[in-house]
Amino acid sequence: MNPGPQIQFYLFGKEYLPITDTLLVGWLSVVIILILAKYLTLSLSIRPEGKQNVAEMIVELIYKQIEPMLPGEGWRFLPFIATIFIYVGFSNLIGLVPGLTSPTGDLNTTLGLALVVFVVVQYEGMREYGVWGYIKGFAEPVIFLLPINVIGELAKPISHSFRLFGNIVGGGIIITLIYQAAPALIPVPLHAWFDFFVGMIQALIFGMVAIAYISVAKS
Amino acid sequence: MIEFSPEVAETVITTASYIAAGAALIAGVGPGIGMGFAAGKATTAVRRQPQARGSIITTMLLGQVISGSTGIYSLVIAIFLIFGV
Repeated sequence: MNPGPQIQFYLFGKEYLPITDTLLVGWLSVVIILILAKYLTLSLSIRPEGKQNVAEMIVELIYKQIEPMLPGEGWRFLPFIATIFIYVGFSNLIGLVPGLTSPTGDLNTTLGLALVVFVVVQYEGMREYGVWGYIKGFAEPVIFLLPINVIGELAKPISHSFRLFGNIVGGGIIITLIYQAAPALIPVPLHAWFDFFVGMIQALIFGMVAIAYISVAKS
Repeated sequence: MIEFSPEVAETVITTASYIAAGAALIAGVGPGIGMGFAAGKATTAVRRQPQARGSIITTMLLGQVISGSTGIYSLVIAIFLIFGV
């Protein structure tokens, strides 16, 4: 029994390029987000109305999370953080559609996102202190703490990715068990909790932890 | 030295990994207590300073996330033990 991502076909027929169902749903959600973003910003005007209000609400909601933790640089980090917020949130929500599995229920997706955040964190640290100054920061206050600091830095993407993966997969396993015991009506509130509420909270937390890592590297 | 047949060995390994998966989830106790403690403190803080509600909730969520990771680790290990063996 393998409840994880199922291999659908191989890209170009190569054994080392498997295409799983979570990857396909991930591509689908990227396309839907692109179409939505294009549709919401079709006709921008000074006085917002209709769909432009929705777009501005989303942007302001994310901006208000960044600005208190990275003062003065909210607009610079908005595209990166908003991409994480919207992609993770939409990936969690798309699991509500019957027959589709959440792309975030796959460790490959979450670890990929966490590694992108890791690279950005290192870049921002080096941009703030210079390459040598940033590396020297690991050996403070005493040189003996160097291995511990390096391990602590390397553990960040692991805990970051496992948190999202564990939450989504844990909810999915509980819902699958309930479906086998009681297929009608009882799973509905569980879907509302695990897919909607936990999914939204986890998307918020994934983005907020990314902001916190960046602000720790810069301070 | 007693030789076991492969079926017996496989059954023993499966049983042991299921028991270990159940035991790994005992780790869920600690994060539960810790996150509840943080939420209680945040409630007190909001009562004292209702105007700082937004930043208190943000700080509480970040702290709960960090302290909740250990529970998630145990869940991931349990999943690996059940489906990986």
